[in-house]
Amino acid sequence: MHATNGNGGASKYITLVSKDGFEFVVLREASLCSDYIRGMLRNNMTEARTGRCELQDINGVILEKVVEYFHYWYKFKDREDVPDMEIPVENCLELVVAADYLGMDSKPH
Amino acid sequence: MSRQQSNRAGRQIRGPQSALTDFLASHNISANQIRLDADARRRAAEEENGASPSDQQQAAEDEVGESSTVTTSVTVTTWTSRREKDQKVIDEIKASKTYQKRKRNADEDDGDDDLLDTLRRERGPLPGQMDNCANCGKRFTVTAYSRNHPDGGLLCGPCGKEMDKDAPPKKKPAKRAAAGPVGRRRQIQSKILDGTFQLGAKSLMTLCIETLAKNIDLAEDLGDLPQQVIDKIARKLSKHRLLNSTTLSLFLQPTTDEVCIYDGAKLSADDYIRIFQTVPGLKKLKARNAIHFKDEVMDFLISRKTELEDLYLHGSNLIDEEKWLEFLGKKGKSLQSLRVYWTDKHFGDSALEALPSSCPSLARLKACHNQKITGEGIKHLAQLKHLKHLSIDLRNHVHSDVYVNVLSSIGQNLETFSITREINLDNTVLDAIHNHCRSLQKLRITDSEVMTDEDFARLFTNWENKCLQFVDLQKCRQVDSANPRQNPDNIGLCDKGFKALMAHSGRKIEHLNVHGCRHISAKAFEVVFPADGKKVYPELKKLEISFCEEVTDFIVGSIFKCCPNIHELNVFGCMNVKSVRVPKGKILVGVPNALGMVIEGIDDIEE
Repeated sequence: MHATNGNGGASKYITLVSKDGFEFVVLREASLCSDYIRGMLRNNMTEARTGRCELQDINGVILEKVVEYFHYWYKFKDREDVPDMEIPVENCLELVVAADYLGMDSKPH
Repeated sequence: MSRQQSNRAGRQIRGPQSALTDFLASHNISANQIRLDADARRRAAEEENGASPSDQQQAAEDEVGESSTVTTSVTVTTWTSRREKDQKVIDEIKASKTYQKRKRNADEDDGDDDLLDTLRRERGPLPGQMDNCANCGKRFTVTAYSRNHPDGGLLCGPCGKEMDKDAPPKKKPAKRAAAGPVGRRRQIQSKILDGTFQLGAKSLMTLCIETLAKNIDLAEDLGDLPQQVIDKIARKLSKHRLLNSTTLSLFLQPTTDEVCIYDGAKLSADDYIRIFQTVPGLKKLKARNAIHFKDEVMDFLISRKTELEDLYLHGSNLIDEEKWLEFLGKKGKSLQSLRVYWTDKHFGDSALEALPSSCPSLARLKACHNQKITGEGIKHLAQLKHLKHLSIDLRNHVHSDVYVNVLSSIGQNLETFSITREINLDNTVLDAIHNHCRSLQKLRITDSEVMTDEDFARLFTNWENKCLQFVDLQKCRQVDSANPRQNPDNIGLCDKGFKALMAHSGRKIEHLNVHGCRHISAKAFEVVFPADGKKVYPELKKLEISFCEEVTDFIVGSIFKCCPNIHELNVFGCMNVKSVRVPKGKILVGVPNALGMVIEGIDDIEE
């Protein structure tokens, strides 16, 4: 999976890197539900050009759950009857902190 | 023998049988038949051999009784030929296709060995017979209710009861009301009414907090979460009534300065005292359903160095009047905000009288649903020079002159003025607002049966106040059973007042409530919300026009056009609203038919 396609335009996917070096490839559109990442991907930012976001405060396990949420959110965007995603109890406190850090608030757009 | 005959005599009513019995019966094999044959053969063999293990068999036979299961008393003896015959029969059955098929569908999943075991195994003593208790060794009569000992064997009555007491009682999982298609639709409709409905998935924050709330007993410490998140968790817990002495500890961090208890019903006086003990730097305390916030808690608070700036108490009916005065006297210096809800009897005029002297820096005062305050107390508020937010909801009548007095004295700085359910509030108050208020942002006057449309118009015309952000004039309408339809004196908010209101504040207004102002005509709505979208109200987010009879589909459509950022529109009781398409992302509450809100397709409304 390349971060940029041959033409140099914004690719469909971006890479999120966790504190401990795990890399996750995510659909660009799916990651827009996080205000923080949206801000990073604005024009003229380094991350927007390379398509690679370093998240130094989030570890791999939590980032994996966040990426899973991104895809779940993207899949069910604008649908009415949405089943809840499972959140493992052991991670939910750290996940709350991560969600707050990434700006994934109560009113996703 | 009689049993044999009755077997052949025809079908008897039998209870449930195991699948195996069914199969044997369908192959004309009866367990009893086998047994009796076996007996006969044994007896014959006995006479030949002399000594025999017949005693064993006799005992075994006695134990079988009338059970129609396949547990025959074929004890393990050395009748190899008998065994082989059984085995052959069983193999035959198993080979048969019908058995294979039914076994696949049947609930039982006996294996090969199980079949044999079931045929041969001795079940323990049956009800009615004596046995030794596995626990205490006593001799007792076996009943249908005798409990099994975990290591096998049966327990006598008292031992059985002991074991039951130790084991936790089995709880049936509660049936969720929101399961199933009907439940889900109800949940969606309920969410629409709450205004929390949104398309798409819940936010990650919401999902996490819900998981946290469900498993709150596993949480020991909330760690270093930001205040906003802690607040959300507190709300969720209170909603599910999970806030008690143990979970309260999660929110009492020594470094915090704000504690919000949204449901203190399960908290005791000691818990409230604990709050002040663990959080010495407490500045803001909000406690709803704070029933046990009693005199002793107040005493403790008074004795501490805690400088409260914001106190919000709801339902604290056990605090005495003297205690209130003592608190205000000793702790009032730092108090900037005092909100007292549903404290009917002891927070009264004397407390209000003490406010100007003890709480000089008071900026926010709210007394809601209070029975003791009267005009006597209200008139002292004129001396609170720094008061910015005033909110009164009393059960006693206060004459309008009192309010006029207060307004003329402190109206200049007032940002919030809210008088709820004062039926006789009249035009003089509106005039006083017009003349004195210059910084008002939030205005609420409800249930006035005397104010007239003309005076509302006068209030909003050429008023030197800037645009209001929040206006709530619900139920300012004519209440006269002799004249249900006509409103000759134009009592309440009608066309002129409504038009003047929107002309004055339309630019910045965010929240408008004209519930019950039923004499606002369709024409007025059409002037305020023109169909071509010429007038735009960019900030309007929440509009309530319930029970304004003249609202139609056309008007609702125009409203959506004129208010691009509107989030929720409430049309309860507007019976002429029949089928409106609601643009995506907006909520229409109260459509008077079973279908409810119908969201537009993928496209938004086209011009």
